[in-house]
Amino acid sequence: MDYKGDIYYIEQILSGKSNCFRYIVEKHKDRAYNLAFRICGNHEEAEELAQDSFLKAYRSLASFKMKSSFSTWLFRIVYNTTISHVRIKKKGVLSLEYFPADTTDFIGASSSEDEAETEYRSSLVNFALQKITDEEKGLVTLFYYEEMSTDEIAEVTGISKSNVKVKLFRARQKMQMIIEKAEKKKIAYHE
Amino acid sequence: MNKQEEYKEDLLSQYMSPDSTESAPEGFTTNIMNRIRLEKVPAVREEKFLKRNLVPVISVAVIVVLIVAALFVPGNESDPTALSFLSLLKNLRASLPEPDFSWLLKISLPSVLSYVFIGMFALIFFDRALYRLFHKEK
Repeated sequence: MDYKGDIYYIEQILSGKSNCFRYIVEKHKDRAYNLAFRICGNHEEAEELAQDSFLKAYRSLASFKMKSSFSTWLFRIVYNTTISHVRIKKKGVLSLEYFPADTTDFIGASSSEDEAETEYRSSLVNFALQKITDEEKGLVTLFYYEEMSTDEIAEVTGISKSNVKVKLFRARQKMQMIIEKAEKKKIAYHE
Repeated sequence: MNKQEEYKEDLLSQYMSPDSTESAPEGFTTNIMNRIRLEKVPAVREEKFLKRNLVPVISVAVIVVLIVAALFVPGNESDPTALSFLSLLKNLRASLPEPDFSWLLKISLPSVLSYVFIGMFALIFFDRALYRLFHKEK
């Protein structure tokens, strides 16, 4: 079935057809779930947080101004819900010593060395993402995974555009430093 | 940007692209829809205050206009401002009793206005009552 656009389904829901919310969830669930997961780093929590965010969106649908983008509005809810959740639940800091020093750790029964290298790099980036602050995780996710502009990120997070730029720059620097350390560790391991 | 920095930036862009997003688990939509079915209040559009209270607002506005008119328009029946309005009420006056409002703030209101006010208040009351009745039915 062709998706008729967010506004169409919102109008239907507001006129009493609450089942139409299913189409909106189907359309946005992966992106909402991904944002929650990248910030909290846990699949079960991300599912719960993304579902709570959709319910919050449903309850406040009547207050949604049709002038702005629905996805931006939804992302704001997901971002705020997840950030407040992880702020309450303080997590321990991950240590680099637990990160594998070599790609051999990623070679499974059926994967080649190339696949293991890809897996290693992907894990390294995810590991670096988990090492930055929750707010930075949100910004980086919106910038890279969602390919949002700094204007859109500012709208979602409520942070000023210039501040988004500064925070994104710092987050990237932090992640790059972590990657660099891990790469050095890998080189040292082979020497 | 040197080669090492470029490599790290590429790594971020490569492994954090929209293609590598996490997908929502199976049953995600069904779970949300089940929770929505349990919601007691459906997400329906809230009517604006003015639309919801159109009749009482108009009634109150008319009453205010009439009070202001009674206070500021001269009671002299020959006055051209009040002439058309008073001539309209002449026939009514003959069939209705004329209450004396001189005790109320020492204002001499045209007696027919008291009936207009009572009518307006009755309209406000019945409008509210009917509004509640019909909205309960929804």
